[in-house]
Amino acid sequence: MKRPISLTVNGRAETVLAEPRTHLAGLLREGLRLTGTHIGCEHGVCGACTVEVDGAPARACLLHAGAAEGASVRTVEGFDGDAVMTALREAFSAEHALQCGYCTPGMLVTARDIILRLPDADEARVREELAGNLCRCTGYRGIVRAILRVLAQRRG
Amino acid sequence: MTTASDRPSASEGVNRPHSHASKTGKGVGASLRRKEDARFLHGRGRYVGDIAVPGMLEVAFLRSPVAHARLLGVTKPAGAQDRVFLAADLPEIAPIRAVSALPGFRVSEQTALATGKVRHVGEAIAACLASSRAEAEDLAAACEPEFEVLPAISDMLTARAPGVPLIHEHWAENVFLETRREEDLSDLDAVAAAKVTRVLRTSRQSMAPIEGRGVLAEWDTRLEQLVVTTASQQPHVSKTGIAEALGLDEGQVRVIAPDVGGGFGYKAILLPEELVCCALAMRLQRPVRWLEDRLEQLTANANCREHHYIVTAWADREGRLLGCDVDATVDSGAYSSYPFSACLEAAQIGSIFPGPYILPRFRYHTLSACTNKPPILPYRGVARPGVCYAMETTLDALARQLGLSAEAIRAVNLVPKEAMPYRNLVGKHFDSGDYKEALRRAVALVDVPKVRARQAKGECVGVGLASFCEQGAHGTSVYHGWGMPMVPGFEQAQARFTPDGVLELRVGLHSHGQGLETTLAQVAHEILGVDPARVRLVHGDTALTPYSTGTWGSRAMVMAGGAVAEACRQLGERALTIGAALLQAERGEVELAGGTVRRRGGAGIALEEIARTWYRRPQNLPADVDRGGLDVTAGYRPDPDTGTHSYACHAVVARVDVETGAVTLEDYVVVEDGGVLVNPMIVDGQVLGGTAQGIGTALYEEMPYDAQGQPLAGTLADYLLPGATEVPDIRLDHMETPSPWTRFGQKGIGESGAIGPAGAILNAINDALAPLGAEVFDLPATPARVLAAIEAARR
Repeated sequence: MKRPISLTVNGRAETVLAEPRTHLAGLLREGLRLTGTHIGCEHGVCGACTVEVDGAPARACLLHAGAAEGASVRTVEGFDGDAVMTALREAFSAEHALQCGYCTPGMLVTARDIILRLPDADEARVREELAGNLCRCTGYRGIVRAILRVLAQRRG
Repeated sequence: MTTASDRPSASEGVNRPHSHASKTGKGVGASLRRKEDARFLHGRGRYVGDIAVPGMLEVAFLRSPVAHARLLGVTKPAGAQDRVFLAADLPEIAPIRAVSALPGFRVSEQTALATGKVRHVGEAIAACLASSRAEAEDLAAACEPEFEVLPAISDMLTARAPGVPLIHEHWAENVFLETRREEDLSDLDAVAAAKVTRVLRTSRQSMAPIEGRGVLAEWDTRLEQLVVTTASQQPHVSKTGIAEALGLDEGQVRVIAPDVGGGFGYKAILLPEELVCCALAMRLQRPVRWLEDRLEQLTANANCREHHYIVTAWADREGRLLGCDVDATVDSGAYSSYPFSACLEAAQIGSIFPGPYILPRFRYHTLSACTNKPPILPYRGVARPGVCYAMETTLDALARQLGLSAEAIRAVNLVPKEAMPYRNLVGKHFDSGDYKEALRRAVALVDVPKVRARQAKGECVGVGLASFCEQGAHGTSVYHGWGMPMVPGFEQAQARFTPDGVLELRVGLHSHGQGLETTLAQVAHEILGVDPARVRLVHGDTALTPYSTGTWGSRAMVMAGGAVAEACRQLGERALTIGAALLQAERGEVELAGGTVRRRGGAGIALEEIARTWYRRPQNLPADVDRGGLDVTAGYRPDPDTGTHSYACHAVVARVDVETGAVTLEDYVVVEDGGVLVNPMIVDGQVLGGTAQGIGTALYEEMPYDAQGQPLAGTLADYLLPGATEVPDIRLDHMETPSPWTRFGQKGIGESGAIGPAGAILNAINDALAPLGAEVFDLPATPARVLAAIEAARR
């Protein structure tokens, strides 16, 4: 039985009809056609579906749509104009931090959180923070370097 | 983990040759940033799961919960008879028969939905349709299959034991194929200074791209054509396979591969699920979609790498190999998958076991065992990671017996550069390279004396090496002998100018992360001078591109790179002719330079203007102009086509915690030679990513099965993939020995990184454990296996 769920997505108020068992990733992808949030494992390990919920990264596959009622959600499509995300995108391209692009949206949301929360993070800390986002293509070196590059830029 | 920032890294250009970096910084040899990045970084990639069409039905499969059983029947849920389809409901799908012409190969018939028997856990039994996946899963859960459970073959070594049940009952035994090379080695015991025999096992793995498989099938009533959007590395081969299985002509099938979220071989296979979706779309005249979930991928499709070896090797006092005797078994699973067949892996072991070494005498026996597991698929490197693991750990065992260093025993056995091109005793034809120099550099880059000093103080730390080479882009002359459904031949590319002067390239193979939109634009720029920003690559659609066997076998840059270069060369000739006419010059007086046709040393006319003239101002063309126009399709094949050989040496420093069995990689160095690199940044990415996957093979990834054939890792919390904390800051050093056989001297290198890690890491672990008298033989070297090895040595 579908019921309406109201939440804010990328700054816009939205009401979506969804089955209670739908997860947030499904609501975003099927309900709002925001397909930048990718589904990898649907059990909270791979991190591909990481989005920002009320200012913090969250697994969109572990959150029932109903639990997102009233939440403010930001997906990879919602960061245009964000200075940190702009710097990360530039750094990801420069450091070849993506290949197939499938894990990339989740990586970017996690990376942005690292930049804002841990301005002094070193490489070991960045790797630890990334442990919840799996990438099968890059071997992580480019991703780690991209984040370190933006951290260094912001430290001046 | 050591993450020293003072070390040199590839992006700082250690020994990076620049002989082919083009003057513009955009052609062959340039680390050009990728054209495809922008869409991925903004979440605008378009993968099969992102595509929804009106009226679409979703499929969930009822899958076998048991490994081996007679399927007595399936009761469909009441009221849902027309939404649940069994094999008998879809007789229009012919079984998948992936044959090999190798003598003795037994052919399996894989029906798209189980017929009569199920032969592995996860085998599809029924397709259940609903307007959402969740409702389709509800339907699948309400189906009632009835089984007569049979004993399962879970361990490949028991496949031909007396009294075991036959998986395919008309076969004489549970074996797809046996291959052998006989040679009497009985005299070697008397003359060898060292002899070792080792028994080794590698685990069954899941390739685990983060995006699973997925397919959306639609019937186009106007064109009377099946349009299949599928996550595929080889859309044209999928098209051929679908047409054959459904009895359509190939013009009635169009396969579109959109952005593909990682492949590694997993998406180079025709799936039963694809055939079911196609048949349903035709039957129901509705779009039908199936998206594989992680449970399906891990359990129904854990399908690669499971090998068992008994290796005996003899060496003289200096460590020179006198001979090897190899008995190899590969768990090929229950069926032969299309197009690579069930024997590609095992039968290849014989020809690739000698690796980069001079092996004077060799006996082998290989067995492709049929078991109650999903069919084997070729994963990055195919059989090489297992073979390299077997050879490299055997070499170290010989070195320990002889009191030689790991470097010394490799140095005396590697094919020397003076011998290139070199043909080894099983006919592998190496094109070029300095294998010993790669070894020397790798050893120099890791601090071996420091490791030895730490060992002297009692630290459980070790250093390990692995040398190997990788045949890539091997073509007709190699594959026709396999007699598989697919033989790669001439790769074709189309190059044309559009009326606004944009250069459009069309190739039939497909990118699943390799960045072909960028690298093929670089090749075009190298030939025509067109800015890569003004080059568009069209790929991933059989209706728009020339036929290709696809992206596998480290072939894309050699084959499509060569084809695009040739098509652009011919297109350039056409443009020169038109340009000469417009400049009122003789054909011999003009040249291509900087995206223009110009009189030598004089004024030029832009290629854009030439394109505009051809398409929109033909009144300005002379009457005798070449009527082929600005549109060329050209074919390419290297000569000879036996394949390029990239090569590498991996060197690892590993620390072992003897209390917990945990292994930490303190340093990881890769010295690699891929010939001329079209885009060094992208090649680095391929090597790094492959190496990370190899680290997973060495230390983490394992799909265990119980005696009943039940897979025991159903989530990514059980099936462990390496994360950012498990993969060290790998250091790369490139050499550049051009292949004499390819267009720019490039070599196939996409799979290389995955080949070396298991050998190098296990050698490092065993070097660390040597003072304890312990040795780990089986992959992955989990803490439990390391502790068991230490415990066994204590007893």
